[in-house]
Amino acid sequence: MTQFKNGSHGLPVFAMAGMAVLVVVPVLFVALQAIFPGAAQADWAQPLSHWRKVWESTALLHLLGNTVSLGVWVVLGALAVGVPLGLLRGLARLPGSALWDLCFLVPFMVPPYIAAMGWILLLQPAGYLQQATGQHAAGLLFSVPGVVLVMVLNLFPVVYFAVSRAAAAAGGRLAVVARVCGASPWQALWRISLPLTLPAMAASGLLVFAMTIEEYGTPAVLASNVGFEVLVTGIEQRLSDWPIDLPGAAMLSLVLMGLAVLAYMGQRRLLAGRSYEATDGKPQALQRVELGVWRVPVLLVFAVAGACATALPLCSIAATAFTGTLSGGMAWENWTLRHFAAVFAHGSEALQALGTSFALALGAAVLVGVLGALVAYCSVRLRSRTAQALDMLSVLPNAVPGIVVAVGLILAWNQPWLPITPYNTWVILLLAYACLLLPYPIRYAHAALQQVSVHLESAARVHGASVWQMLARVVAPLLAPSVLAAMLLVFAIASRELVASLLLAPTGMQTVAVYVWRQFEQGSVGEGMAMSMIAIAITAALVLLAHGLAAHRRR
Amino acid sequence: MHTSGYALTVYTAGPAGLIKALADGFEKQGGEKVEVFQADSGKVMARVEAEAGNPRVDVLISASWDSALDLHQRGWLLHYRSPLAKTVPAAYQGPAYVAQGMSALAIAWNPASGTPRPSDWKDLAAPAFQGKVNMPDPSKSGTALELISGLQSQHGAQAWKLFGELRANGMHIAGANAQALNPVLQGAKAAVFGAVDYVTYAAQAKGEKVEIIFPSSGTVVAARPMMIFKSSKKPEQAKRFIDYVLSDEGQKMVANAYLLPARADVPAKRPALDSFKAFAQESDAQRAGRAALLQRFDELFVRK
Repeated sequence: MTQFKNGSHGLPVFAMAGMAVLVVVPVLFVALQAIFPGAAQADWAQPLSHWRKVWESTALLHLLGNTVSLGVWVVLGALAVGVPLGLLRGLARLPGSALWDLCFLVPFMVPPYIAAMGWILLLQPAGYLQQATGQHAAGLLFSVPGVVLVMVLNLFPVVYFAVSRAAAAAGGRLAVVARVCGASPWQALWRISLPLTLPAMAASGLLVFAMTIEEYGTPAVLASNVGFEVLVTGIEQRLSDWPIDLPGAAMLSLVLMGLAVLAYMGQRRLLAGRSYEATDGKPQALQRVELGVWRVPVLLVFAVAGACATALPLCSIAATAFTGTLSGGMAWENWTLRHFAAVFAHGSEALQALGTSFALALGAAVLVGVLGALVAYCSVRLRSRTAQALDMLSVLPNAVPGIVVAVGLILAWNQPWLPITPYNTWVILLLAYACLLLPYPIRYAHAALQQVSVHLESAARVHGASVWQMLARVVAPLLAPSVLAAMLLVFAIASRELVASLLLAPTGMQTVAVYVWRQFEQGSVGEGMAMSMIAIAITAALVLLAHGLAAHRRR
Repeated sequence: MHTSGYALTVYTAGPAGLIKALADGFEKQGGEKVEVFQADSGKVMARVEAEAGNPRVDVLISASWDSALDLHQRGWLLHYRSPLAKTVPAAYQGPAYVAQGMSALAIAWNPASGTPRPSDWKDLAAPAFQGKVNMPDPSKSGTALELISGLQSQHGAQAWKLFGELRANGMHIAGANAQALNPVLQGAKAAVFGAVDYVTYAAQAKGEKVEIIFPSSGTVVAARPMMIFKSSKKPEQAKRFIDYVLSDEGQKMVANAYLLPARADVPAKRPALDSFKAFAQESDAQRAGRAALLQRFDELFVRK
């Protein structure tokens, strides 16, 4: 093993340099801002002088309790929905599997605040549901369970994609062996397939937890009237109006980061001491289970999940985009294409926003896909302490609101002594997306690597392959399904990221989400929703195209 | 990699259409290129604060008068009185800042809601409006905070009696301004307590059926201050930009966004300042008490 380590020296250095630039720098500056109230003006006097004010103005324990319980409920909900669907997708021969993947990717193409607005327009009294059926569901929507439900529907695909790829990679073959040895299908599932996907469940559960505790819009819009406030509300308040309190916001962000570290250690403990290796060199085509009589019920379950998570909010967005006014409702004379016409009338502006967003999303997906896989590899295989620390660090930006990460990036890259800076160029947006989204490929690759036996890599090295050859020819193909799924998520999220984009957008540049937000701000809800529809359609088309290309190459 | 090395950098909260028109107009009449950063007040201010060590902004147009007072007090602003500011009311300018335009807070009412047309704030506490009123969250909307602060300064304990009655009548605190207005447009709610008038006029102009009612007992006028930063490397261009916004042409663009033009001699495209009762600007002491006010309001609405 030692010679193996020595031979791959360049690898950790490369991974760590990338992590340092993308994650360590902004996190460090957030921490500096939390400790030194004058950090923005390079004033290092009076460290921590503001903690008492922050403590007194925040019901910290109460908010912490709400934050943790919301996080736990959403993780449980996301696992409850995502694991069964993921296992079915991974292990069974599911008709239209690519389309189901696309369907569950759509919730990621919609920014949470638009999704929440979609649900409100749908379910509130006089909303689209009542206009169509005479019923409304405001009681459920504006409640804590309503928040959990909406967030589970937004986030369960993170679990679905991780579990389906892991189950396909590992569970299937050993489950077949178990069946041959006389296990019933349920025993094979319960004793073999399910435990083998544990790393994927833990990894995606951690991502869901981090995303839940930093999400602001959904709880704020749906549950603030029942008195349910979370920690991130305190952060947003400090950054939402005059006087802006950067040190207070940064300090509370450290608390969220602390929560994420605890969750990270929890999932590590959960997995510790067991081996999940299932791929050890005997190549065998994946035999997917035939569904038989279960075909129709299974498809029904997928259809219900797709309808709730994707179709309903999408219908609400579409109804708003295709009707002239909200007050006109879904009456015949109110249907119109004028919002779309208005978007195209803005011509270059809208096109520029679309171009910017998709180029940045593609760049971010490629960047974090490669770097994330490398970091996960260094952390799992080389057991480098630094790599493992970075692995944990990568979760932090995901657990704090995007606006705090954005502030950290400004503090870091707007230093007067820097001879050249990415700040106020498109590069800063790429840095922001990469920082926020690195955890996806890292966690997905981490889970996948735990299923792959190290013997494969040793064998490659013994037969004379260089480290890079071994990575390219052995590790990369084995990780590809998981990392590509993560990159798809990254692409979808980056193409619609709002908060960091709003704060960091270089002067004169806008992204899709910023464009949509500006329409809402001006009271043009319909035009904003029309632009959202266009962006979702393009993302979906690109994803289908990528899928088609991949399938073509496999043939 | 500096893209804005030769341009005037303007940070602004508020309507995107307006700043685009102003920037284009300024360039057309011979000004330098204007690079715009536009977001909500919170993000604009967060960016200004985070950049404090190496400021990039030349001109800031804020939605909050407080921010101008505070930045002036810190000594960050360049003193400038535009010659065109003569007809801007004294309350809406200072040594280093001047209003771009003003908005007023009003009741936005859906006439199809089956409720009687309200004429004053207190009407929204009547049984007919039970559970049918939205208010933008004062901790997210600076203008909503101005409203409760202004009502308290004007009416003292009476204002808190009103807030209590509204609470008892089931008034819903609903996110930022747009989130409070949309349910009224769709019909889930009947009225917004403290809608920003220009956004509502814009929605009306797009065909939404909504009425804007200025309460008979008076309301708050929120001015949008423009200011030049001392750190600006282009103070002369920045002054020219302020002059341009205050010119006939610039103020007409402000009026087209349904804002009240800052200059009293430029006509508005909606009811003018003298057509409804507006409270006087609050004193510094009254402004200083806002944090405590917000806390008291949050406690009243059982939100921590």
